Amino acid sequence: MSEFSIHKVWIVAKREYLERVRTRSFVLSTFATPLLMGTFLIVPTMITASTARNIMLDSSRPARVVIASDNRALAELARGELTRQRGTPYAASVLSPTSPAAREQLDSRLDASGIEGYVWLDGPALASRKVVFTTRRMGDFVLQRRLGAALSYAFAAQRMVNQGGSPGEVAATLQPVDLTALAAGNSSAVFNELRGAAVVFIFLFVMVFSLLSYGVMVMRSVMEEKSSRITEVLMCAASAQELMAGKILGTGSVGLTQIGLWLAVAALGASRSLYLRTAMTALDVGPSLIVYFVVFYTLGYLLYSAVFAGVGAIFNSIDEAQQWNFVVILPLIAAAAMILPVATSSDSPISVAASLFPFSAPILMFERLAVHDPPPWQLAASLLLLLATIGAAMFISARIYRTGILMYGKRPTIRELSRWLRHA
Amino acid sequence: MERTRDAPSNLGCESRCDAVTPAVELLEVRKSYGGVPAVDGLSFQIPPARIFGLLGPNGAGKTSTIRMMIGITSPDSGLVRLFGEPLRRRALRRVGYLPEERGLYRRMTVGANLVFLGSLAGLSVATSRQRIDAWTRRLGAADWVDRRVEELSKGMQQKIQFIAALLHDPDLIVMDEPFAGLDPVNTMQLKDVLVGLRAAGKSILFSTHRMDQVEKLCDSICLVNRGKAVLQGSLSEIKNSNGRRFVQIDYEGDGACLAGHPLIDSLNDYGNHAELRLKPGADAQELLQTAMRGLRVIRFQVMDPSLEQIFIERVGEQA
Repeated sequence: MSEFSIHKVWIVAKREYLERVRTRSFVLSTFATPLLMGTFLIVPTMITASTARNIMLDSSRPARVVIASDNRALAELARGELTRQRGTPYAASVLSPTSPAAREQLDSRLDASGIEGYVWLDGPALASRKVVFTTRRMGDFVLQRRLGAALSYAFAAQRMVNQGGSPGEVAATLQPVDLTALAAGNSSAVFNELRGAAVVFIFLFVMVFSLLSYGVMVMRSVMEEKSSRITEVLMCAASAQELMAGKILGTGSVGLTQIGLWLAVAALGASRSLYLRTAMTALDVGPSLIVYFVVFYTLGYLLYSAVFAGVGAIFNSIDEAQQWNFVVILPLIAAAAMILPVATSSDSPISVAASLFPFSAPILMFERLAVHDPPPWQLAASLLLLLATIGAAMFISARIYRTGILMYGKRPTIRELSRWLRHA
Repeated sequence: MERTRDAPSNLGCESRCDAVTPAVELLEVRKSYGGVPAVDGLSFQIPPARIFGLLGPNGAGKTSTIRMMIGITSPDSGLVRLFGEPLRRRALRRVGYLPEERGLYRRMTVGANLVFLGSLAGLSVATSRQRIDAWTRRLGAADWVDRRVEELSKGMQQKIQFIAALLHDPDLIVMDEPFAGLDPVNTMQLKDVLVGLRAAGKSILFSTHRMDQVEKLCDSICLVNRGKAVLQGSLSEIKNSNGRRFVQIDYEGDGACLAGHPLIDSLNDYGNHAELRLKPGADAQELLQTAMRGLRVIRFQVMDPSLEQIFIERVGEQA
């Protein structure tokens, strides 16, 4: 009875695929996901980038900051540094000397939205260099970083002037460094901090989102067949392995179709629109990145969907599955949490281990490939471990699936599950 | 999968086997779930062109038996043969199955469901469509083909499943409680289809606990209880061997004289009509004479036992 028919797998997969791409939820998620992604990833990235580069904000309405100090010369140096760049989004004024009455006045201007904030540099602050910035824009870390840098500049510049330096010498000495990182081994790929983050995050977001949603879709699909009682009819015509393989392939193809559509629209847009082309170039999307993505997405999907299919066969309702669902999703969440640490230290032992661990490898090995070239042996080991785990997961799930999809009502105990595994 | 699958000696077998070889043969089949035997050494065979009833109370092991017969589960021991050969998946193409737990894809149309199931059974889309057209016309379901399954009543869905089981023209048709939930008109329609299929040489296994249907349809039966065969053989043999101990009397007068009569084992008195069972060895003629002394007898009929009576008797003995 161990005959395996590819033709039947194909028939099952075809039905699964056609039924899913025709649903409203597929159309909706295909359109909504890029919008969501835009909202959650691209827009903040763009705003951050633009703010940092002073190109986005309207310079006719700059953020107004007051630098109140007993040392007027220092305050002027800080003001000059803060507003030095052309098109700066900041307008700064100096208030000197300080007094309690002046502070009250600044507080009331803050309350009336006359200013965005003020720096208070009285005697103790000047001596200790511990400066307080009172502001209505607590979240504007760019302004705070800028202000901190301007004040540091002012302290250093004033000391140099006091030691006899000319203003020109001071400016030349303190001119900040403009750092550009270049990806090793690929001199044309400029890996700018912001661009890199955008590439990695967009692809990783799509990967985590798709693995999760299509994995859960396989689980729901198994449960639907179980609860609609069609399984038994199917089992007479096809084996459990054929049914499971068809389901996984069909649903997986829906995921690939969706991602393919996004890529196609992006490519079409890039060919038509200068803005999109610039964005794509800035995002550094090369063919190798897409190949890696498709390979790791496919492998990750095969692993997670096999596990989800097994979980779907065990339980009778989504509610019941929910708590165990979490156990399956956990490694995916853990991998998502590792995305930032891996981006910053791609070669650390933890990053290497996490990118070899099969349940996080699809996400983290792909990320390491995107931000940095890991040694080939690590890529090979990651792929081999992943393939072996997929094989094991498919084997175990197929056995659980075979028995589970015919069991209605009671939820099996762990002992019963192990019996399913042995006797299926 | 045996290596002999495509051996030339087997190729010519199908038509020959169909005429003489049992469609299904179970030999000492056993299956336990969690140490509890569901099927316990069951053996029977279904001859070609016969309707075979697999009977038994709920939980007797009927569905477990059927699942092993069609390869959904494997027996712990014993042998299942389909069309004269040990069970293999390829032979299942010649089997049509209507499970008790039935279902269709609710959001797909009737036509799409049937085409899909037809493809899995090895039919081309064109052939499927042709047959769907013929069957839905015959069963008065032609208007439903483009409707979603969820729009149909339960009875309508059941008819569609019936079609799904027959679409690929199987030689063996396995139906678990096929008439459950159907109204009398539809029951009659499907009964006619089954009788027609038997006439066309198909073997039909019909599992139910509804004895009245079995009596009208089946040629032979196997009565199972707690996984074991309690009774099996052709329906007429079984009835004969269970003796003509059942009597119906239509009468006028006071039926009290029947109550407690030494010849009567059990009695159901309806006032003007009584149904009774004689004690073993009792003579019906003697009872008639007694009855005529106390009552005005309008009709006195010695009957074959109904299958239901035999069923209750046999299963009751085991309880």
